[in-house]
Amino acid sequence: MPIETTDIARLAQILENSGVDTIEIEEPGLTLKLVVDTRSRIAASASPAAATAPVADHFVMAKADVAGHFRAAHPWQDKPFVAPGQRIEAGATLGLVKIGLLYAPVVAPTAGIVDAVIAETGAMVGYGTPIVRILPLAASDPLN
Amino acid sequence: MIEILSVTGPASIQDLGRFDQYRFGVGTSGAMDDVALRAGNILLGNDENAAAVEIPIMPFRLRFDRNIAFALTGAAVEAEIAGRAIPPWWRSYARAGDILNIKAMSHGARSYLAVGGGIDVPMVLGSRSTQFRGEFGGLHGRPLQVGDILPCATSTAAIGEFGIEPAGITLARPNAAADESIVRVIVAGEYDAFEATAQELFWSSSWTITPQSNRYGYRLQGPAVKPKAPVEKRSHGIVPGVIQIPPNGQPIIQMRDAQTSGGYPKIATVIGADLWRVGQARLGGKLRFEQTAYTDALAAEDDMSAYLDRLRTNMRLVEEAGTCR
Repeated sequence: MPIETTDIARLAQILENSGVDTIEIEEPGLTLKLVVDTRSRIAASASPAAATAPVADHFVMAKADVAGHFRAAHPWQDKPFVAPGQRIEAGATLGLVKIGLLYAPVVAPTAGIVDAVIAETGAMVGYGTPIVRILPLAASDPLN
Repeated sequence: MIEILSVTGPASIQDLGRFDQYRFGVGTSGAMDDVALRAGNILLGNDENAAAVEIPIMPFRLRFDRNIAFALTGAAVEAEIAGRAIPPWWRSYARAGDILNIKAMSHGARSYLAVGGGIDVPMVLGSRSTQFRGEFGGLHGRPLQVGDILPCATSTAAIGEFGIEPAGITLARPNAAADESIVRVIVAGEYDAFEATAQELFWSSSWTITPQSNRYGYRLQGPAVKPKAPVEKRSHGIVPGVIQIPPNGQPIIQMRDAQTSGGYPKIATVIGADLWRVGQARLGGKLRFEQTAYTDALAAEDDMSAYLDRLRTNMRLVEEAGTCR
């Protein structure tokens, strides 16, 4: 099945929207690899003009970095780690990914306002799965 | 080093305990929740017997004077490092000057602060545990005070931040109510000195943990459980977990700082695998006793060991994969 350029454009849009950096599709006689250039996005948000106002167009995704089951709250705590509208600092714990007896934190890559918690408690997530959509506040240096 | 900035109750330095001196009348001391202490040390890659701070009452505040990995296990606490919230049963990292603030305890009775390398107080009679009764071990043999400086061993622990499933979740007992702990016990030497009706009272009652409960022992309140005739025994060896019935019929569970001998009749003994559940039962809370057989007590010990083994294996995977930051 041939892939049209319009398909590639659509795929690129989906990647952009979902916060996924890379996708690879392999079929007989065909390999397609799309890589979203996130550097321009970060550079844009780091420009002096954007330093004070929220960058409405450029959400940042906090992603899972291990495979496991997502938890929005610690099992001993009723309140989820974050809720939409909440101000968070870079490095804040936004949720947990449970793998065996381990609770791996989902860490905020940047300071900002929580726009949405995308993953649902109990859902299986993998490396790179978007967990929390964040509206970055300013030109804070992303972690990683 | 660690400087204590604020302490509310009798916090103390504890390792797993002092086990070689019992014949000389020196009690074991050691962490009231040994599972939590081990888990904290496993999280940090420490020797599992490394000394930690046992904290029974919040708030508790301290300052780290150098970069150091630490872990909080035991009771569910609301805690912050340098103003950043940390979940229960969590390993984190402090930078020199950071303040750890343990503000409140939502359930459980004792929190454990373990640090990379362990709290480096001198070994006394084979242990770093504080012996309240004898006033030795730990830091000057006494509870911690504001201004105390705790020496920390050097450690090369990684700076990864993550948590583990609390033992209370993995090892949850069926039928456990919110504020009632059910602990398994084996009948003890003088069980038959009690009538069937008294025995039945012992099993069926939901015992209240009185404010006179601490590291020495838990004094319970409920219906009086009296022997057929007063039992007068010479003092003989007892161990943490032994449940005595004094003349008023109100049970006492001997805990880590208990005397090594006593003369009250022993009705039952809390199994080793459930002693930590007593250590995490709160004042004012309820305790219920469930009779168990020796073989089941061993099986419970196996469950506890299996949990700790899984932790060790999971931690090895983290070290190898470097997956968690």
